[in-house]
Amino acid sequence: MQLKINDLTFAYNKKEKNIVENFNLEVEKGEVVALVGVSGSGKSTVLRLTAGLEIPDSGQITIAGQTVASDYKFKAAEQREVGMVFQDYALFPHLNVEKNIAFGIDHLSKDKRKARVKELLKLVNLEGFEKRYPHQLSGGQQQRIALARTLAPGPELLLLDEPFSNLDAELKDKIRRELNEIIREVGVTTILVSHDREDAEFMQAREILMN
Amino acid sequence: MQLLKKLKKASPGWFLLTAGIIILLLIPNLNIIINLFGEAGANWEHVKNYLLINYFQNSLILVLATGLLAAFLGAGLAWLIAAYDFPGRDFLSWGLILPLAIPPYIGAYVYQGMFGYTGPLQIFLRNNFQLNLSQRYFNFMNLKGAIFIYTIFLFPYVFLMTKAFLAKQSASLLESSRLLGKSDSAIFFKIILPLSRGAVVAGSSLVMMEVLNDYGVVKYFGISTFTTAIFKSWFGMGDLPTAVRLSVMAMLVIFVVLFIEKLMRGGRKYSYSTSNIRPLSRRKLEGSRKIMAQIFTYGVFFFGFFLPTAQLLYWSFLSRGGRLMETLHFAFTSFLTGGGAAVLILIGAVIVATTARMSSNFVSNLLARITILGYSIPGAVIAVGVLLFMLQLDVAFSFLQTSLGLETNIVLSSTLIMLIFAYAVRFMGIAFNSVNSGYEKIGESYFEASRTLGKGVTETFFKIDLPMLKPALMSGFLLVFIETMKELPLTMILRPFNFDTLATKAFEYASDEMIYRAADLSLVLIFFSAVAIYLITHRRRRRKK
Repeated sequence: MQLKINDLTFAYNKKEKNIVENFNLEVEKGEVVALVGVSGSGKSTVLRLTAGLEIPDSGQITIAGQTVASDYKFKAAEQREVGMVFQDYALFPHLNVEKNIAFGIDHLSKDKRKARVKELLKLVNLEGFEKRYPHQLSGGQQQRIALARTLAPGPELLLLDEPFSNLDAELKDKIRRELNEIIREVGVTTILVSHDREDAEFMQAREILMN
Repeated sequence: MQLLKKLKKASPGWFLLTAGIIILLLIPNLNIIINLFGEAGANWEHVKNYLLINYFQNSLILVLATGLLAAFLGAGLAWLIAAYDFPGRDFLSWGLILPLAIPPYIGAYVYQGMFGYTGPLQIFLRNNFQLNLSQRYFNFMNLKGAIFIYTIFLFPYVFLMTKAFLAKQSASLLESSRLLGKSDSAIFFKIILPLSRGAVVAGSSLVMMEVLNDYGVVKYFGISTFTTAIFKSWFGMGDLPTAVRLSVMAMLVIFVVLFIEKLMRGGRKYSYSTSNIRPLSRRKLEGSRKIMAQIFTYGVFFFGFFLPTAQLLYWSFLSRGGRLMETLHFAFTSFLTGGGAAVLILIGAVIVATTARMSSNFVSNLLARITILGYSIPGAVIAVGVLLFMLQLDVAFSFLQTSLGLETNIVLSSTLIMLIFAYAVRFMGIAFNSVNSGYEKIGESYFEASRTLGKGVTETFFKIDLPMLKPALMSGFLLVFIETMKELPLTMILRPFNFDTLATKAFEYASDEMIYRAADLSLVLIFFSAVAIYLITHRRRRRKK
C-alpha cells in the first residue's frame, strides 16, 4: 500500500464546518487515482493534507508504510517525499528552468544533478530549455517543467491539483495524453484532483467521487 | 494537534525571534501605562488644573480639522487624477505626492518667512504699492495657520490611498451611473465618496496621527499640545512622571481618533460580485473644465511643493550655499542614521512578517496590530517609554558592572542604540506593511512548492521568499528611510549629546531665526525624500508595465 488515509477530518477554522470528514482512501503502488468533485467538496484539501501543507484535526495518513500524520505525530511537508504540481504551477520566477528542476535535488553532486535535469527535460520533451525563465514559456510548457521539477527527487507520491484547469480546450486533449504517458512511463503513484469526470476517464484513473 | 494547528506551519526558531521582537516593541508602551500608577510629579497638579484643558482643546481642534480638510482635498484630487485626463495629469499623479517630501515643520517656517513682515510678499507690497496692511492678515502662527500647514503637506496620505483604491474600481460603475443620467459631481458625492470611504478614512487617520505626532509646527507657532507639553515637562522641568501622565492623555486622543476611524468605516466592506473588472477609463476634459481642473491640481502642487521649495532655493542662493562642509556633515549623519535604522527595522519586519504568514489568521492579525501600534502613538510618547526602558536596563547593567568590580558607566541611555531602537518601535509597522503586502502579492504556492520539494522553512526563506520579496523590501526601505530622515520629536528627545540630523539642525536654525542656514539643510532633506518618492512611485509603475 503506497498511501493509506484513515478517518481524516479537517476544517479550515473552528467556526466553519468540516470540509473533509472521516475520509478514507487506499492507493496501491503505481496506481493512478482521480478525486472528482465540485468546488468546495474538499478534494484539493485532501491533497494539501497528504502533502503536509495542512495539519489534520484528526485521522491518520500513512505514506509508503510510514505514518506522517496521526494524533501524536506530524511530519512537515519537506520530510514526506511527496511531490505536488500546483494549479498555478508555482515555478520560481527568479530561477531558470534548470535551477527550478534542480531545486529539490541540490544534495546531489553537480554532475549527477546536471544529468538528472537533462533526463527529466527529455522525459517531458523540452530538451534544450535549461536556460529559459518561466515567463518565457507557454502554459503547457510551464506545466511540464513543473512536473519535471516535482519528479526530480523521485517522490513516493505525485499529487496533481487541477492539472487541466488553466488550459484551453484544444490544448487539453494533447496535454492529458502527454501527462498520462509520462506518469505511466515513470510508474509513480499518482493522485489527481479534478472537477471534470472526463479528465479521470482520459487518464485511465480510478475515479473517486467526492461530495 | 490543536496547538500545532494554531501555529500552523511556523517553525520554533522564527517564532522565538518574532516573540523577542514583539516584546521589545511592546515594553516601551507598557512601561508608560505601568508608570502611570507611580507617584505624580511636582508639576502635575498645576498642569492638571490649568493647562490640560488647553492641551486637549488644541490637539483635538488640530487633529479633527486637519483630518477633515485633508480627507476632502486628498479624495477630490485622487478622483480628478483617477477619472479624468488633462494635460499634466501624468506628472501630477506622482507630483501631488511630493508635498510629503517637505516635513511640515520646514513648511511652517518657510510660509512664516515668506508672509511675515520682513518676507518677500510684504516687502513687495510695501515697496511697490505703499501698502501697510495689518499683520493680522499675514499671521500664520496660530491654529488656522497650523491647520493650513498640516493639510497642504499631509493630504498626500489620503490622496495616495484613495488613488490606489480607485484604480481597482470598475468602469461599468461609472458608465452605468452616467447612463442613469447622473452628473459628474453627483457621481462623486453619491458613488465615489461612499464607496471609497474606507480608503479616505484610513488615509485621513494617518494624517491625524501625524498631526498628533508633530512637534515642530506647534512648537514654532507657539501652540500648546500634548507633544509640546511632554517636551516641556521633560526638558524644561525634568519631571518625568508628569511627562508620563501627559503621554497617557495623548494616548486617549489617539483612541478617539481610532474610534472615529472605526465608526466612519462602519465595518462595511463592499466587494464586487464578479471578478471580471474593467478598470476606470479616464475621460478627457475640454474647455473650461480642463482649465479648472488644471488650476486646482497645479494650485495644490504649487502651494504644497513648488512655492516652498523655490523659496528655500532662493534663501540658499542668498547665503551663497552657506557652510557647505557643515551641510555635508549633517547630510552624511542623517543618511547613515536613516539608512542604518531602515536596514535594521526592515530585518525585524521581515522576521515578523514571515512568522505572521506561517501563523493562523488570529496570530498574524495580532502581530500586524502590535507592529503598527508604534506608528499611531506620538513620537514624544514613545520617546518617554523608550527612555524609561533604557534607564531600567542601565540600572541593571550598572548593577552587573559593580558586581564584576568594573567601573559603572551608561551603556544604553543617550546613545545611538537608544535612538535607533525608538525608530524601530515607531516605524516597524510601515516596514511590516510593505513586507506583508509583498508576501500577499507572491501568494503561498511558491512557499508550498519549495516545502514539498524537501526544503525547510528557513531554507525556503533564503532561496525563494527573499529574492521574490526584493521589490517590496526596496519600497519598505525607502519608506522607512524617508520617515527616519524627517523624524523630529523622537530624535530631539533621545539623540546622543552633540548629535544632530538634518531635521534637528534645520529645526534648530529655524527656531533661532537663522532661516538661511536652515534652508540649505532643508533642501538636502527634501531632495532625499523627493528622490525616494520618485523611486517608489516609478518602480511600481514600471512593474505594472
